[in-house]
Amino acid sequence: MPKQPVQQRILKYAITALIVIGSIWSASGLEITLEKILKAPEQIAILVGAMFPLDLSSEAIERILPKVAESLFIAWAGTVIGAVFSFPVSFLAANNVAANYISETTKQILNGIRAFPELILAFVFLPITGLGALTGTLAIGIHSIGTLGKLSSEVIEGIDEGPLEAIKSSGGSKINELLFGVVPQVMPTITSYWLYRFEINLRASAVLGVVGAGGVGAELINQLRFRDFPRAGTVLVATVVLVLTVDTISAAIRRRIIKGRSIKV
Amino acid sequence: MINLPKKPPPSLMVFAGIPTAVLFSYYCFFKVGFNLTDFKENLENRYLVTDPLFNPKWSWAIENASEALVETIQIAILASVVGCFVALPLSFYASQTTNQNKISYFLYKSFLNLVRTIPDLFWAMMFTVAVGLGPFAGVLALVMFSLAIMGKLLSETIDSIDPGPLEAAKSSGASHNQSVFTSALPQVLPNFTAYFLYIFELCIRASVILGLVGAGGVGRIIETQRIFLRFDRISPIIVLILLVVILIEQFSVWLRRRIL
Amino acid sequence: MIKFENVGVVYPGGVKALDNINLEINEGDFVIIVGLSGAGKSTLLRSINNLVKPTDGDVFVDGKNVTNASKKELKQIRSDIGMIFQTFNLVNRSNVLKNVLTGRLSQVSTIRSITGLWPKEDKQIAFESLERVEILEKAYVRGSNLSGGQQQRVGIARALAQKPTVMLADEPVASLDPVTSRVVMSYLKKINQELGITTIVNLHFLDLAKEFGTRLIGLREGNLVYDGSVDDVSDADFENIYGRSIKSSDLIGEDD
Repeated sequence: MPKQPVQQRILKYAITALIVIGSIWSASGLEITLEKILKAPEQIAILVGAMFPLDLSSEAIERILPKVAESLFIAWAGTVIGAVFSFPVSFLAANNVAANYISETTKQILNGIRAFPELILAFVFLPITGLGALTGTLAIGIHSIGTLGKLSSEVIEGIDEGPLEAIKSSGGSKINELLFGVVPQVMPTITSYWLYRFEINLRASAVLGVVGAGGVGAELINQLRFRDFPRAGTVLVATVVLVLTVDTISAAIRRRIIKGRSIKV
Repeated sequence: MINLPKKPPPSLMVFAGIPTAVLFSYYCFFKVGFNLTDFKENLENRYLVTDPLFNPKWSWAIENASEALVETIQIAILASVVGCFVALPLSFYASQTTNQNKISYFLYKSFLNLVRTIPDLFWAMMFTVAVGLGPFAGVLALVMFSLAIMGKLLSETIDSIDPGPLEAAKSSGASHNQSVFTSALPQVLPNFTAYFLYIFELCIRASVILGLVGAGGVGRIIETQRIFLRFDRISPIIVLILLVVILIEQFSVWLRRRIL
Repeated sequence: MIKFENVGVVYPGGVKALDNINLEINEGDFVIIVGLSGAGKSTLLRSINNLVKPTDGDVFVDGKNVTNASKKELKQIRSDIGMIFQTFNLVNRSNVLKNVLTGRLSQVSTIRSITGLWPKEDKQIAFESLERVEILEKAYVRGSNLSGGQQQRVGIARALAQKPTVMLADEPVASLDPVTSRVVMSYLKKINQELGITTIVNLHFLDLAKEFGTRLIGLREGNLVYDGSVDDVSDADFENIYGRSIKSSDLIGEDD
């Protein structure tokens, strides 16, 4: 029976060893003992138990609901910023639309923006725009420009050049090629990326509250600090409900966009 | 003059959806407090941030933050390994290709969806309360994080594999688990590896932030320095993290080329 | 109408696609080009509208030098030359009407084309073109929802919408079945006869070439090896063009 090529086997063993050693080194470095691991489930159960019954008093709801809505607004506004600015930039970053030196530079700039988590961007904006939703929106918006820009440029780079050739051969200009050849091909996928980004941004905006950039995060951390677990549980459930709802609607819309409408003749 | 066939009415989504989206966007920007004049005023304060930001204090960072940086990386390694490997069997249960039992499939899939809805920092907050402050809470939080992402990605991949080999194995009398192990698992291993590397990278970025809520890592230091506007100490830390992330990215690209 | 003067094309990498082509095509001709894959048929066709720029020689269309034309002149020349492709090259997610209208792009200002406010005359031209290939009723159907033959007819309509004097067809039926291929070829022939459009078609099915062509051009390894009436062509001539005896894959055959 032929054996797997030696090089491949060595690589596989090396990687497995790397993972195992890495994990053990990490676990010991972090002082994670078996005792701690075994105790954990019980501790978690205690916490979850303390959250129920949830605090559904009108006082709680009055405090929490606006914050949950705020997270929604921040996520949407941030995504809009990301979509609007990333769209033109993505053309510049696509090597089949823009010259190589332009597309390479743009890609590197986008990578630079992408590298910073939204939270770090929020940090940077806090002293400038102060506490509140605007900071969160800017942080999410700018980070989204980076990710959406990169993803959109990849979609543009993957199109079928055939229709572009047809337009060119009929005397169309480069702009015609872009508008009638590229855009119709990429819009469905790019729009679905925008929606997916909205789903992710919603989670990010929930978190940003922790540093005071608006949204539910501040509520949760306060309730946990004051050990008001039922209220914390409410915050959690409210967040989950919001995210699930948005996820489901967004997924349905995305499916419809990709599938397209069929007309019977 | 030639007459065209009747034009079909514009789709509901476009007709109602786009105006709604535009109006909603205006509303959101309003609610969020987007005000151009205020914004311009605010921008004048930018030197508070940009001056120290571009003046990194490397020695301070290396002296005081190295240990925390290592901790951050360790959290990421442990969390991604545990999370991804636990997610591996779960994903098979969360895919209709390999789990014909509708109830069980629904339960596993819902579980994964539920875990996905809770942001990583929320998990971190809860675990610090449950098991105490420190990196253990951080690891647990990111395990949930990795589990959720790997679960979704992998189960969707399993949804689209070729069911042929699976059928063949079952028809030869192999048990369900046997057929999955021999015929479905090998098909998704390359994807699993790619996702694992991707999630590892995500974990490193995520674990930087965990310290903010006391769950270990460099975040704690960043938070304390931020309050005093010491961006000159924060920027070198961020750069070091970015370097680590880039190194890992390069390594994973190299690795992927080798094994695929 | 179309003149090739010592045209040669060498691709980067050294591949010689066309070698010293001298050719004259008259207005209203229906020319079919045959030859093996790689013989230079595609290159020859694309040098007429300068999608491929010859490394030697010049191509003239209607007296104008295409090879050395300025960008503005080239745009004008191209707008008079319609082209259809083996892969149809429709924008799949757009409907038939939108696809045909892209044939009018060179004549319409950018603003109007973006906003969709096409001038009435241009829309009429689009309708007429669709009518000519008998596919007007599918105007709002998405490109990807049509069959191959229907897609190619839309391609022809798009080219017709340019109101061209020349029609280039690069392997237009290579991906179609025998019956549909004959339908498409007969549309091309009808357009050539009724509108007088000079038509040049690349084919690799010899029986189709004989069935529809009037003039036949044979290419072999970039060289012009045959130029004459379709009626005068013998099997021996085909073998010379192909450099081997005829195989069944060279014939489209009948529908079984």
